[in-house]
Amino acid sequence: MRALRHPAVHWLLGIALGAVFIYASIDKIEQPREFARIVYHYRLIGPTAALGFVLANTLAVTLPWIEALTGLLLIVGVWRREAALTAALLLVMFLVAVGWALAHGIDVENCGCFSVSGEGRAAGAKLILQDLGLLAVALVLAFVPPRAREVARVNERVRYAAPGATSK
Amino acid sequence: MRLWRVAAIVAAGAFLGLAWNAFGGRGIALSGNAYIKPGEDVVEIDAAEAKKRLDKGALFLDARPVAFYEMGHVPGALPLPEDDFDRAFTRLEPRLRNTLDIVVYCSGYGCEASHIVARKLREKGIHAAILHEGWPAWTDAGYRTKEGKEP
Repeated sequence: MRALRHPAVHWLLGIALGAVFIYASIDKIEQPREFARIVYHYRLIGPTAALGFVLANTLAVTLPWIEALTGLLLIVGVWRREAALTAALLLVMFLVAVGWALAHGIDVENCGCFSVSGEGRAAGAKLILQDLGLLAVALVLAFVPPRAREVARVNERVRYAAPGATSK
Repeated sequence: MRLWRVAAIVAAGAFLGLAWNAFGGRGIALSGNAYIKPGEDVVEIDAAEAKKRLDKGALFLDARPVAFYEMGHVPGALPLPEDDFDRAFTRLEPRLRNTLDIVVYCSGYGCEASHIVARKLREKGIHAAILHEGWPAWTDAGYRTKEGKEP
């Protein structure tokens, strides 16, 4: 647990998770039409008679850019905790989508995780494990503060609590 | 942790995505069906490919007059006769809009009905592939058929 709080570990995890997210976004940004078709395959947010294609298409064009931006922030280390939380939320969303597909017996041949081409990986148990692993990394980055930050926070508290300091 | 930053990341990403879709040069129509490429021709598939799609849960539409449908059709196929398109379509529309993979067939050997039905479906934003050579291709390949009014 101590190792998880080492700033260097956070730095490395941030770069690794960020790289995964950026890598995952490239193919989808390049081929929005193919990615939209994959979104349809999940049958989670359409297309349906009531909603039409708008919801699924909007997700297909925006999701890759949210992934890319999240990955970029994780790599450069700006807003890293918030970017990690965003990544965690995205991963939870992916898990829900894959779980939904499996529960409904929908054969998602290509999960659309990293590639939109036909040779992609199917949505299955392996994919769920992979997402859970990434989710663990994201949660560490979001909620386990690196030591340096912890030290700074304690200093701050001490400063406020110090006798003679003006209260806020 | 500042939660507004999470919202800001999502909003900025979504904004970038919509902007890229609008101005990036390879955007898609947000209300359109991504299966239909503008200018793309109707897809024709052979019997083997049709069988594969049927096994995967594709919806088959029989474009022939209902009398032919009752004499024999692809198992699971629904009648969408070209000569009674509008009425049949109204009945089937919810189902069609929820189905991603649709195959239309007719009597084969130059019959036009499947092309007409596929074109009418396209006009309504529904993509359907056409079984090349239609019904005879299916029976010649020795695939199962079904008689009667029930799909």
